[in-house]
Amino acid sequence: MFVYEKQLQYPIKIKRTNPALAKLIISQYGGPDGELGASLRYLSQRYTMPVQELKATLTDIGVEELNHLEMIGTIVYQLTKDLSEEEIKKNGFDAYFVDHTTGVYPSSAAGVPFTAAYIQSKGDPITDLHEDMAAEQKARTTYDNILRMCDDYDVKDPIRFLRAREVVHYQRFGENLRILTDKLDSKNYYQFNPSFDKKCFKK
Amino acid sequence: MTQREIMLKKIGTYKFALKDLQLYLDTHPHDEMALRKYAEYEAIVEPLVAEFERRFGPLTVSVDNMNKFKWIKNPWPWDIEEDD
Repeated sequence: MFVYEKQLQYPIKIKRTNPALAKLIISQYGGPDGELGASLRYLSQRYTMPVQELKATLTDIGVEELNHLEMIGTIVYQLTKDLSEEEIKKNGFDAYFVDHTTGVYPSSAAGVPFTAAYIQSKGDPITDLHEDMAAEQKARTTYDNILRMCDDYDVKDPIRFLRAREVVHYQRFGENLRILTDKLDSKNYYQFNPSFDKKCFKK
Repeated sequence: MTQREIMLKKIGTYKFALKDLQLYLDTHPHDEMALRKYAEYEAIVEPLVAEFERRFGPLTVSVDNMNKFKWIKNPWPWDIEEDD
């Protein structure tokens, strides 16, 4: 069950609109390494996780990613608020505008709509945790790239916060991988699927 | 920043610390110091939330005794507030 709190995880108050920047940042809403994919990935993978630490971490990080999705939606909304038709044309926002006006739509910076093909839920916790650690690094690189393209403190500040969370999540997933392998037969971790082959756990 | 934003930021800071400790405790469930910190921050944030909700309206959905459903009231988290 989920309970909504009427508050962002980190405050956002952008004074200057910038539709060109919004077009880039929307990639973290519905792009290949974005927050929508992150939340769906972790909240889907958690069901078959065999160890309690893994179930807790995937649930809690999956929920935090929904907070981040809301933060990115807020940044895109505030960057495109009250635009004139002139500003839309001048800043290259016209292609987005014709399909969505200024509605927030999950797509990549290049305009590709969100697809579940961005994520995997493999039903093997070693495989899934490696995917999760890679996903956190890919999101971190995307935030680094956004920071290179951005000179507005009001935008940079929450983006830096989100970047730091990717690093923390990577660390937590790494700890989970160790917690899992510590419980397995060290002669060959990769001979079994710890979700499917229950006998692989140490007695 | 408005008075509302200042108070919301303070609450958000404690809530974030709690969330980060929660993730840490998921993989370190026996860390006594982290458990103490969690309880400490929780004790600080609870009265702050109560005061905020009394002054500015609900953070989570509730039916208040004012016979008005204040949940729907602006600002929502993505709205930009004008400075005082």
